[in-house]
Amino acid sequence: MSNNVKSDLLLECRGIDKNYNGPQVLSKVDFSLRRGEIHALVGENGAGKSTLIKIVTGITNRNAGTIVFDGHDVPVEHNKNASEKLGIAVIYQELSLIHGMTVAQNIFLTKEPLLPGLPFIDIKKMNAMAQEMIEKYGFDLKATDIIDKLPIAQRQTVEILKALSNKASLMIMDEPTSSLTAKESERLFKIIRMLKAEGITVVYISHRMEEVYDLSDRVTVLRDGKLVSVLEGEEITPAEIIRLMIGRELTEDESHHKMVDKRDREVVLEVKNLSAEGKLNDVSFKLHKGEVLGFGGLVGSGRTELMRAIYGIDAFDAGEIMYLGKTYSPTVEKSIASGFGFVPEERRLQGIMGGISITGNIGIANLDSISSPAGFVSRDKELERTQTAISTLNIKPANPDHLVGNLSGGNQQKVVVGKWLIRDLKLLIVDEPTVGVDIGAKEEMYQTIDRLSREGVAVMVVSSDLPELTRLSDRIIVLRKGRIIKEFTEGVVTEEEVLRAASGIVEGGAK
Amino acid sequence: MSVSAIRRLILTGLLIAIGIALSIANPTFLKLDNLMTMLQEASLTGIVAIGFTLILITAGIDMSIGAVIAITSMICVNFISYTQLPAYIYIPIALAAGCAIGWVNGFFITHFKLPEFIVTLATRGILAGLALIIAVKDEQGFVKNVFIEDPVFLSFGETVGPVYIVTIVFILLAIATQFFMKRTRAGTNIYASGANPTAARLSGINVDRTLIGVYMFSGFCAALSSIFLAARMMTAMPEFGIGNELDVIASVVIGGTPFTGGIGDIWGTIIGTLFIALIKNGILKLGLSPYIQPIVIGGIIIVTVVADVWYKHHAEKKATQAARRKAMESKEVGA
Repeated sequence: MSNNVKSDLLLECRGIDKNYNGPQVLSKVDFSLRRGEIHALVGENGAGKSTLIKIVTGITNRNAGTIVFDGHDVPVEHNKNASEKLGIAVIYQELSLIHGMTVAQNIFLTKEPLLPGLPFIDIKKMNAMAQEMIEKYGFDLKATDIIDKLPIAQRQTVEILKALSNKASLMIMDEPTSSLTAKESERLFKIIRMLKAEGITVVYISHRMEEVYDLSDRVTVLRDGKLVSVLEGEEITPAEIIRLMIGRELTEDESHHKMVDKRDREVVLEVKNLSAEGKLNDVSFKLHKGEVLGFGGLVGSGRTELMRAIYGIDAFDAGEIMYLGKTYSPTVEKSIASGFGFVPEERRLQGIMGGISITGNIGIANLDSISSPAGFVSRDKELERTQTAISTLNIKPANPDHLVGNLSGGNQQKVVVGKWLIRDLKLLIVDEPTVGVDIGAKEEMYQTIDRLSREGVAVMVVSSDLPELTRLSDRIIVLRKGRIIKEFTEGVVTEEEVLRAASGIVEGGAK
Repeated sequence: MSVSAIRRLILTGLLIAIGIALSIANPTFLKLDNLMTMLQEASLTGIVAIGFTLILITAGIDMSIGAVIAITSMICVNFISYTQLPAYIYIPIALAAGCAIGWVNGFFITHFKLPEFIVTLATRGILAGLALIIAVKDEQGFVKNVFIEDPVFLSFGETVGPVYIVTIVFILLAIATQFFMKRTRAGTNIYASGANPTAARLSGINVDRTLIGVYMFSGFCAALSSIFLAARMMTAMPEFGIGNELDVIASVVIGGTPFTGGIGDIWGTIIGTLFIALIKNGILKLGLSPYIQPIVIGGIIIVTVVADVWYKHHAEKKATQAARRKAMESKEVGA
């Protein structure tokens, strides 16, 4: 390491290893940033982007490797406060702002200017300082605005100002545009270029290839916890990035899952022109008996919202849902009674009751069939159903009294699915079936879904895991910004095609 | 106009309306004597409510305030009965005891990450029992009413002109606390710790120390109120303050400090305190049974909270609708 001369690298990570007591999340990753560059970090879900960022910012510690920031060796026992002192800032969407406070108060929190010689805050001076910063960058803000009243895009600019006031030399933005409109995103890009002009290094994490393409000086591609490539200048094209992200040389069999056209079968569910303000825009499709319909798209594209609307959790503004040929206005109770099953996105939050046994978790969705007319629950019936679910799904340990919170992710997910399997199931909605699930359990989950579809259950699968989506689906609908942007109905579909559609790169038939 | 400003206007309007109604129903209501007694009542609750406001701003709760009042008065009575120490020594000791209790609350809450409600409910029980144990007893072991004759102590119950000292102290403490909350870093830290503890920690605020400080202040306020209460009654009983939580919580909640943390100020609490005192006084002046006081106050809490939740829901709905409309418009421009 050069002692006196400042290296042109702001950050240099070498051979970073990380495992969370089990699977290797990062192995031997090198990652370096030049001063004043915009550097995109891309990779599929689970490629290790977030973990790498957490290590750099000190939220979690690495197992091996060295990090040098601005000439200082960063110790393994790194922490958030230390990284902030070094000048590393992360721009969250809204997490780190204090509600109920003004813009100025947030920017200068814990470093408020004081009246000379007194322990009292000089509010006038603080507001003036904040206003000066705001005007310098031409933001659309007032120093005295209350945070709660600002839209997300402006809260982000407050975060940026806060980082600037901390003299940050590195700003990390994790999916900064995921909840911004096109216009707001444009404004953010302008700000990012301004930061670059000031000599600040920006790390940009995004799934939106066109943004990465427009903005970045360099791109680091991660895949399965390993560094794949660092692209620079001319090498950066959306198609190339997507190719590197998907990467592995797929066999014909693996990458090209054959679509199966089941559209001649009985229609189970028909959605007509469904719209919900700000979430869904004129969505129409049909789901057939025994069909697995996959939903692709980026996070925030409206997939989960669509599922929740159909199941009856959230209301919609316009459109119609037909179930088995009849108009259906969903509520959760009615959906369960009509043979719907729902495996929600956030397992720990929405799927399981961790402090309750497997029996209790499975019983709760089936109280109608295991209790007497007077409302007493039959423990024998409950146990019997649970045993059925445990044996069909191979839940381990096969102990009905085991607390679900202590099961592995895969087995927890089986319990959530198990709740519905022992019913007369007609329609199963699965949102991100295998997040946080190990490979063995993943395969079992796929087989379960295959089996159900053979038995005639109509299945809707939402997944951000592209191999999973193409592996499972008989047909794939890709959503973007609440609309159906593309539908793959026949032949073979590659992950690349799905990702292109989700990113808005559609050849020909865009709606 | 901001929500809290509207709320204060409505409350002040109600205060005046109820005041006018009462003075018509019973002319003695408007007598200076009655008004000053009412303010004295309000101030005794209000001093505790100032501390409690800070507790709510941190999104916590302090159930021990009533028991702190009881134990403080018992500490004073013990000093009076068994020692020759002058008031200007044992009163600070009693106030320090209030702070110490707050420290214990804060320590258990922050150090062991325990729920505020459980910790302070436990200390409430312990202190209420301790107050009975250390109470001065007669030969048969029954709690004895000690009549306080110490002139220095009793002077706390007196007036300056027509105004009770406790009212003056209440107003000064309110102004000082409001200034502290809005104009010092420590005050800002309290708001931040309540609004978003994670963000506060990431911004370099020592949230644990901030919380302990707030619980100490709450204990101090309760102890201070206890001294004025004993001086006014010229005696002290181990039941002093037990059950006062209702009035205190009502005053703060009506004043506009929500349970969710990060929001609230002392001005609202002052108005809330006056409101509760007026209602209680009014019930007496109308010749109604004093037993309906807690029923009415409980009802007022429910009505206020329901109105708050309803308004918040309404405002949020309006805000998201406006934001979506804006987003849609700019999307169309962008596309």
